[in-house]
Order: sequence, then structure tokens, then C-alpha cells
Amino acid sequence: MLKTFAELKFPGRLIAVEGLDGSGKSTQIYLLKRWLELQGVKVYFSEWNSSELVKSATSKGKKRELLTPTTFSLIHATDFADRYERHLVPLLRAGFIVLCDRYIFTAFARDTVRGCPPEWVRGLYSFAALPDLTFFFKAELEVSLHRILDGRPKLKYFEAGMDLHLSNDPYESFRIFQGRILEQYLAMSTEFDFLVIDANRPIEVQQSDVRNLLARKLNLAAFQREYPLPSPPSARPARKVVKVEPESVEDEYAQR
Amino acid sequence: MSTRSDKRPFDTRVFLPRPAPRRWYGHGIPGVDLNRLGGKLIVMEGADGSGRSTQIAKLVQLLEASGHATVQVGLKRSTLVSEELELAKGGNILSHTTLSLFYATDFADQLENVILPALRAGAMVLADRYIYTLMARDLVRGMDEKWLKNLYGVALVPDAVFYLNVPPEELVQRTFAKNAALDYWESGMDLGLSRDIFDSFLKYQVLLTKEFKRMQTTYGFTIVDGSRSVEETSAQLKSKIDSVLKHSH
Repeated sequence: MLKTFAELKFPGRLIAVEGLDGSGKSTQIYLLKRWLELQGVKVYFSEWNSSELVKSATSKGKKRELLTPTTFSLIHATDFADRYERHLVPLLRAGFIVLCDRYIFTAFARDTVRGCPPEWVRGLYSFAALPDLTFFFKAELEVSLHRILDGRPKLKYFEAGMDLHLSNDPYESFRIFQGRILEQYLAMSTEFDFLVIDANRPIEVQQSDVRNLLARKLNLAAFQREYPLPSPPSARPARKVVKVEPESVEDEYAQR
Repeated sequence: MSTRSDKRPFDTRVFLPRPAPRRWYGHGIPGVDLNRLGGKLIVMEGADGSGRSTQIAKLVQLLEASGHATVQVGLKRSTLVSEELELAKGGNILSHTTLSLFYATDFADQLENVILPALRAGAMVLADRYIYTLMARDLVRGMDEKWLKNLYGVALVPDAVFYLNVPPEELVQRTFAKNAALDYWESGMDLGLSRDIFDSFLKYQVLLTKEFKRMQTTYGFTIVDGSRSVEETSAQLKSKIDSVLKHSH
């Protein structure tokens, strides 16, 4: 069976957030990242679908609607593998806390809804270790839908699940698609020990829960930098030596 | 003046290939009905310089002469990712799993958008390499066989797989006759077998040949001696293709 990074004796830890579009998970992980940075914790943030090299193929496939369930699944697995092998694993070896906005469970849920056999999808991602903690932001389906649909945005073809031919109306298609993904998430919740966060509550209440859970489950002090980061050369005055406050240094690093 | 009567009459007969049962290696492509696939899928495997493209060109001629429509596919030719794949290889920046999945994406894209539609239309599909090359390359690089088998469970089992066997020493000679340079990837330089590219090429090709020999028992390749002349090899292939098509003359 798959193991977590801790079980594999990595010095770093991987924290994943999962949930529907509009569940507020990206806001929560951003706030978590800011908090950890300001505590001087070595933290790295990685987003789903963001590998530079694979991106152009993915966006071409999406724009031209070239993707089938199989190639949709494979190209996302490629993207994930690139980030996993080049960023996540080295950083985890270096003792970082790696925050992932979506992890393999997003693929498990989406690809299965698209009709790929679950065992095949899980097999594809079997090279990846499990997160040490997975926060699942569970909002009422209607709440998530409202957050996305209220602005009447232009929903993209695959985002709305139009390739599944659930409905000719993108909004209706999106509703049905998201509902099915939610079912998949709920089915995985126990199997993968999701920490379920009630995402119908105010942002601050959720963030407080997330920080408390994290601080309880991990010894955060072990991930703090021993020395503050030096400021980048460009920020240093040419002649005058100025003592830089540790906190503002962390700030600069975070903004890079 | 010559008249038609002193020449052989045109042979206008065209034979239908005999259908054979089809299957996927694993679960296949969701939603595809195997019963609707006609034609034949014929795969040509072998190293660079083994004469694959020459033999495919000859087969196309032969098949078209017999009245069959042909479609050709090969690795790294998909609309979806071929350019990105080329870029990635050029920069040598992708790790194994990523490159492997990238190739699988390229393969699946062509399978769904070229191979399957062509078979549905009843054409003869000639594939210049198939999943076996991709698997052999990955196996040589130490990737998990079970993982690869699951990955390529999407693939259709071909009607015939020919492996053109040419000893590495001769492959080098043929490559030099064409290019006067060895390819980085085809020499397996990323494996660090040797810092000398010539040395690395020979070692790498031996490793690949071993993998192919091992796979032969599982996947039932027809090994064709590719070290003979183009005509001799082509004649061997022709007799084998006839038995695949099983024309009832």
C-alpha cells in the first residue's frame, strides 16, 4: 500500500488541501502558507496543473478541446510527475513543509467521474507517496456552486465537464459534474484519512481550525529555519551595511 | 503495335482481410466498442537504423497494390504533445516518470485520434514503433514493470508485431552511413553507462535488445532478421503479412 512521506522517513512533510472549486480551499492554504512563513518555517507551495513544460500542452489540449478522458488523465499525471520529481521530492528531502493545492485525490475524483477505471488512475499515481495530512474542505454543494456561478463567469469547456455531455448548458453541466466529484471525495474521505473542515463557516474560523490541527499533528518547531534567510543581493545597499530585521527578511522571501 | 491480348490481363481482384478477435492489453479506452474496429494494426519495432521506415514504405506499397487503405502512425507524432515532448528531450530536464507519462500521453492521443478511427474505417494501420519501445526504454531505466503494464493497459493488441533484429555493431555502421552522429537518447547517454557515446550506444542497444527478447515471450513478437538486404527482409515480411491478412485466394 501507499505510504506517507513520514512513513518513508522523509525529513519534510506534505500537506494537501482538497475540495470542490469554490470550497475556499485556496484561500485557506494561502493563509496557512503566510502564517508558516512568518513563523520562520521552511515552506513551499505547489499548485495543481502548474508545471511549466507540460502547461503548454495542457492548455492547447483544453483550448482546442482535444482531450479525451484518457489523455486528460495522462496529461495531468505528466504535469504532476514533473512537479513531484523536480520540486516536491527534493524539497521534502531538504526538510520543507510542502503545501499542495490539490494532490492525487483530485485526479482520483475527476478522472473516475470522466469514466476512467479507478484502479487504472490509482495505478498511474502509485509512484507518489501519500500526504502526511490532507485537509478536505467540505462545503454544501450549493454554497460552492454559488461562489463560482454567482458572477456568471465564462466556464471553460473541461472545467464545466462539458466533455461528459451531461447537459448542453455549461452551468447545468458544471452543477452535475461538481456533484459527482463531491460524491467521489466523500467516498475517499475515510480511506485516506481526510481531515474534514466544515467550509460553510467564516474564513477565520476555518483558518483557526487548520492552524490548530497542523500544530497538533506536526512539531512545527522542527521545521523552522535555524538562521534567517539572507536578503537577495539586489535588496542590499551597495555600501552601507544595514542590519535587516528577521521578520522583514522572511517577508521578502515570501514575496519572491 | 502491341495489343492488350499479348499482355497478361490486369488482375482486378481485391481481397477482404479476414477479421480476427480483438482485445485490449488492459481496460483499454473507455467507451470504445471493439466490435466496430475493422482493418488491421501492424506494428514495426526495432532500433534506429534497423530499417523500420524502409520496410514500412515497402509494406504500404504492397498493401495499397492489394487494394487496402493504409494509415501510418509513429511515436512523438501527436497533435497534443509532440512539440512539447521534443522540447523536453532537447533540454534533458524531465525525470523518468514524467518523460514516461509524456510519451504515454502522446501514444494515447494517437491511439484515440488516429489508430482507432482508422480501424473503424477499415484501414490497415502501420505503426512505426508501439508501446514495446516505450516500455523497453523505461524498463532499461529501472521503472516498475507493473506500473508500466497498468499505464499501457489502454493499448489495443495489434494483429502483428514485427521486430527487426540487427546487431548493435551493424546499427552503428548504418547510423553513421546516414548521419555521421549518434543521437543522445538513442545512445542512452542519460543512463550514464559510459561517458563515451560510442561505447554507451553499444551498451544501451544490447540492454534494449535483451528487454525486447524478454518481452517477446509475453507479447509474441515475430522476430525478423533485419541484417539482410532490404529485399530479403521485405520478402520475409511479405509472407508473414499474408498470413495476418489471411486472404482466401
